Amino acid sequence: MSKKKIIIVAVIVILGGVGFFLSQWFMPHRDVQNSAIDIRITAENLVAEYLKDATKANAKYLQAEGESKILAVTGTITGMEEDMKHQKVVYLASATEAKVSCTFTEKTNKDVENLKVGDKVSVKGVIRSGATYDEDLEMYEDVIMEKCAVLHE
Amino acid sequence: MKNSIIIISAVALVLLSAFSAVSGKYITKGAHINFFSHTSVEDIKADNYKAVSTIDSESGVVIFSIPMQSFEFEKALMQKHYNSKKFLDTQTYPKAKYKGKITNLSAIHFDQDGTYEATISGEMTIKGITKPSDQKGTITVKGGEVHVTAKTNITLADFGIGFEKGKPAKNIAKTIAVTVDAKYKK
Repeated sequence: MSKKKIIIVAVIVILGGVGFFLSQWFMPHRDVQNSAIDIRITAENLVAEYLKDATKANAKYLQAEGESKILAVTGTITGMEEDMKHQKVVYLASATEAKVSCTFTEKTNKDVENLKVGDKVSVKGVIRSGATYDEDLEMYEDVIMEKCAVLHE
Repeated sequence: MKNSIIIISAVALVLLSAFSAVSGKYITKGAHINFFSHTSVEDIKADNYKAVSTIDSESGVVIFSIPMQSFEFEKALMQKHYNSKKFLDTQTYPKAKYKGKITNLSAIHFDQDGTYEATISGEMTIKGITKPSDQKGTITVKGGEVHVTAKTNITLADFGIGFEKGKPAKNIAKTIAVTVDAKYKK
């Protein structure tokens, strides 16, 4: 191989390496709202699945690198509040005291403006953790969904 | 008949007030947990606004349940590494927990506005490993609301989170600083 060829190959390898490094370093976060819905389910069924077998539900819904399933969850609103990051939170009812907690974002907060307790809605978001009865808290923990927006279909 | 209605109502009232007096529990479903790792190579921080916590003003029991996948990092790749099997394995261990008891409960007046320093003795469970963990926190009571702030350090190796080789060993501190900010209601 001529010297020139070696230099060209070396430059390509280096550029490729730099490019790979930059793409990893600046890798964007997954845009939940612009990604496809993985599973459609009711709040009631989602909570029931977790209360029946949390290990199985975690394997189904949670992903190892944190990019867990994007769900469209339908249910009736039982409560609304705002978290410490000023994100709106909407709670969907299940057959038990455990709810599906849906946290919106700065961008989607406006989706909840016209909602009220008792309304039936479909919410798209990413699941973070499941419902369970916690003996230390002495209460049910909700299914937690984040990056939520109201679905208009 | 009239008398029996009055008696039943009176009994019901007594029972109701008894139950409401028993529950001295403050609850939040939106505690803010931040962690910060500093090395000469880079600073890494992550925030979680979804921790569930209760404080029982009668028994002094303090519980935190933290959904691990709710920690958000600035860099997507870092968030993936943090969640992965090699580090926190959040698919298998989706929650971390702190169970503690306020040891100077008599010095904290939950029914009286003021700022109190609490010492808590307890244990922390991360990635399925439980270690004793004593903490200090500031409790501010104002108008029936309880606000808790606390700072602590966690040594990652205690919970089997090790970085022996490669880039993470240089970029991630062995001990990370954790801050807690929680507002409770009854």
